[in-house]
Amino acid sequence: MDEQTTLLKGKLYAACEEACSSDPDRLFTQEDLTALDVIPPKDIKKLLQLIQILTNERLFAPVHLHSGLAWRLRPEAEAAKYKQLTSHDQVLVYEIIDAAGAEGAWQQDIKRRLNVQDNALRKALKELETKRLVAQFTTVENISKKMWIKANIKPSSRATGGPWYTDQFLDEAFIEALQSVVMSFIKNRGSYLSKGERGARSVSPLLPKKGVINGAASEAAIKSKKRMADAISKDDTPAVAQLAKPRKAIRLPLPAGYMEYPTTEEITAGIQAAEVAKGQPLKQEHVQELIDVLVWDNRVEEIRMGSRVGYRAVRITKQNPSLYSKPGDEDFWEPRSNGLTTVPCGKCPVFDLCEEGGPVWAGGCEYFDQWLA
Amino acid sequence: MLVTKNAAELCTLLVNELYGQLPSRIVAALLARGRSQVRDLALYTSLNPKQVRHGLSLVIQHNLVFYQTDHETANTTYEANPRAAYHLVRVGKILDVINRKYGLMAKNIVNDLLMLGHVEIAEFVRYHKLKHNRKKATINGEQNHEYEHEHDLENGDTGDPFDDDSHYVNGNGTTHKTGEDTKPIQADEIFDTMAQLIAAGVVETVSTTMFQSPQDLKASVEQECMKEFPNGIRGAKVTAEFDTMVKSQIKAIGAERSTTKRKLQESALYEPSNIKRRKLANGAMSNGFAGDSGGSILRDEPNTVVRLNFDKCLVELRNQKLIEHAEDFVGETTAQVFAALLASLCRKVYRCQYDQHTIMTEEEEETYFTGVRVTTEEIFEHLCPGVDVSTGIGTASEDDIDIRFSEKIRKYPPQIKGSHLQGTLDEGDEIIGSDDEDYDHSGERPSGAHVNGHHHGSVTQNGVSYNGNHTREGQLSRTEQIRQMRQHLLILAEAKQQFVRHCGQNEWTVDFGPLVQQLRYVELDTMIEDSFGRQGLRLTRILREKGKLDDKTLPAMALMRKPDVHVKMAEMEMAGFLEVQEVPRDNNRAANRTMFFWFFDEARTLKRVLDNAYKSMVRCLERLEVERYKKKNVLSVTDRRDVQGKEEEMLRGDVYNEYLDFLDIEKRLLSQVSKLDDLVSIFQDF
Repeated sequence: MDEQTTLLKGKLYAACEEACSSDPDRLFTQEDLTALDVIPPKDIKKLLQLIQILTNERLFAPVHLHSGLAWRLRPEAEAAKYKQLTSHDQVLVYEIIDAAGAEGAWQQDIKRRLNVQDNALRKALKELETKRLVAQFTTVENISKKMWIKANIKPSSRATGGPWYTDQFLDEAFIEALQSVVMSFIKNRGSYLSKGERGARSVSPLLPKKGVINGAASEAAIKSKKRMADAISKDDTPAVAQLAKPRKAIRLPLPAGYMEYPTTEEITAGIQAAEVAKGQPLKQEHVQELIDVLVWDNRVEEIRMGSRVGYRAVRITKQNPSLYSKPGDEDFWEPRSNGLTTVPCGKCPVFDLCEEGGPVWAGGCEYFDQWLA
Repeated sequence: MLVTKNAAELCTLLVNELYGQLPSRIVAALLARGRSQVRDLALYTSLNPKQVRHGLSLVIQHNLVFYQTDHETANTTYEANPRAAYHLVRVGKILDVINRKYGLMAKNIVNDLLMLGHVEIAEFVRYHKLKHNRKKATINGEQNHEYEHEHDLENGDTGDPFDDDSHYVNGNGTTHKTGEDTKPIQADEIFDTMAQLIAAGVVETVSTTMFQSPQDLKASVEQECMKEFPNGIRGAKVTAEFDTMVKSQIKAIGAERSTTKRKLQESALYEPSNIKRRKLANGAMSNGFAGDSGGSILRDEPNTVVRLNFDKCLVELRNQKLIEHAEDFVGETTAQVFAALLASLCRKVYRCQYDQHTIMTEEEEETYFTGVRVTTEEIFEHLCPGVDVSTGIGTASEDDIDIRFSEKIRKYPPQIKGSHLQGTLDEGDEIIGSDDEDYDHSGERPSGAHVNGHHHGSVTQNGVSYNGNHTREGQLSRTEQIRQMRQHLLILAEAKQQFVRHCGQNEWTVDFGPLVQQLRYVELDTMIEDSFGRQGLRLTRILREKGKLDDKTLPAMALMRKPDVHVKMAEMEMAGFLEVQEVPRDNNRAANRTMFFWFFDEARTLKRVLDNAYKSMVRCLERLEVERYKKKNVLSVTDRRDVQGKEEEMLRGDVYNEYLDFLDIEKRLLSQVSKLDDLVSIFQDF
């Protein structure tokens, strides 16, 4: 290797380093490399030689793309690590683990790709581990898989499961707590809390209304006639009676066209401000996951506000009006029910067998016995 | 109506419950064997032809069976009408809703109509008068033997098993107490109320074509028309001609059926041009009809045969259900406004569902294809005066409300897109991007009144500060009330379920199809959440939204632990709510080389749930039968004429307690049946 080549090699590497300073994962194709203006144009032989040298020195890592071959730059410190490797197996194994990056490489996968003996692989891995070049870790996607990763980087969020996982286990308590925070935030911002105090007031003004003559004469007249028109009209009592029952504090829907239902950004900001998840910085996409789950749970619905999407609680008047639910609290003070949820048949484990004259039948049904008792 | 085994069983049980064993055996045989002649029926039921004919006359009386006589062979075949048989389960609800909407008198009339099946008006009036006036004189005295085969039923408020109210189940005669307290019923009143019911469509006049099934009717019309085309029907042009001919013939039948109704509608009742006159007359009349009203028209045609129109009753029941749902999702006051909207909207709606056999009149066709709409004013007219429209909505600062969105006009109904709960709501936007800016300006308030109006809004909401200012509220101007009522309508329009569509300037409509579809999913969700918890609901809703998913993606989306997901999925698959598809990755089909995709088959699940509801109803009724058998000692005593109505005095203490126990059980089982019917209605009939 003459001096000029060494110089060119240094120059090329420096140029590449500069070119990918903003994006360390940038790949260089042959065209990219010629475009760096280091090598005289059309001198493909030289380029080939340089790439060969750089690759041998582990400063370039070849990558196979659909469009052809490309190279990724490897920092000199990383390249130096290859010099510590003593055996051929070690080099091969380390190459694979290096290429896998933050995702990590599965031991079975390495074995399959290298087609080496199990013993040899285990030996190589052990040696690499003692040199503190690689480390074993587990991914949440499959806890039983033996995964290897370069010792100096952390597993990707896919492998660790993001903020929802603590030590490879889904942190359900954490998720639940966060959900209730999101829920109370949505409830608070998207509804109107009506206190129970107005019980007496809401009844009395109704009654004199009909008798009022001045000002509302036309109205009274129309109403009374309207009832006549139906010949025998229903009495007004049910409606009045309904209003007369004592009111607890409930939440009321906001007028249509309300534009301030909380959006995902606002909920994220709210959670950050409340500092409920200090150790785990929650990004917007994580909060979105929480909201999605609440939507699927039928606790929250999305509402369009022009181009933005906000969220509000469903069945707002039936929601538990207090903002902070204690564990074990019902979300709704009146859960929905229908015929099949109340009749014993709805949950009967032997419903399919049930038949007049069969082993299970309505007359001898113990669920009915319990239910009717 | 798809007649499954369970549905057929249910129909038989219902007929048995109301009309006894003979008709139920005939209905059962017809349901199981399809259309049959008398001699076949005699064979199937092991009855002699005389008994069969006797039974058939009863079931035909109640329209539980269609018949068709072939012109050439003169053979008559009979065919079950499962819909009518199923309707029997709703009798109690129908009476209830009629009572609420049209009053007690109407309810009594409908009640008697249900017992008589179809009947001539003159006959009916005689019967009704006799029954109710005599009841007053003698307490539940002897039965009227003039109507032999109904005599079980006349007694039948006792046995009428479909009322939820306790006093109905028990109620020997109590049902009519309120109606009997003053003066004997006049024939005029009966005629007038009947006229009102016919005009509203609750009662319909019967023509001979109604005893044929719609399919048969169409076939016979086609046969008639065929005679006009001796050369047969070939080619597009002739076919089109033939089709129009058939259509016009069928329409003529529809028109003929509704002649009386139209006449009555035009006469005095619902024509807007007559409203003023009616109102003036009402000042003096106690019962709301002027001299030339519908009653007199009916009196001139005493031979008109009438019967209850279940289609219209279903519309009323549907309204009831929708109001309940609106109350559940939005709130009480809003539900009352919705009730007013539905009441005014459904004057023109005579049935819930249409298929190709439905015979429509011109008017119905028009409303069906263009949809009905009502104005804000009309809704306000129907608003129950006791409703305080200022309640039930929270307050928000004016700045936070964008009237362009709240008042947005949607000219076209949303598309039913499979079943996704998401997505249906804003469908309209995408289709008609052009009228994005189209909104109802009437919701805007002039800037001068702005401050005042807003101020007022806060008064009615927060109230506390203004306590004691009742008089002021009593004087709320009509415009202000309408404005507040509109707010409720807008909330209904904005709701995810889209109860109401704001379809034009101050015009409103309800898209029943998509709305009911949403309710189906609401009920399904309720069931899933009840049986499999919140997480089960979450998983099924994910699948419904995303389609097929493998068991790796699902836990990540649901934020659940994988084993938990698997347990839940397996549970739901066992219960039939979910299905799984296996896709092998290679030829070995080994389990670990197979991908499993979960999915939610909506159509199948809905069908299955419907059938389960039928089956549960059957089980409840069967259980009731068993309970009756268990208590037969007591019941045989209470069945005695001299005991009925005064059980408490006549029975020994312990026997009476046992009787009360039985009534409690009966009540529970029957109310359960009626709840299940709510479900069936939503899944099938609305």
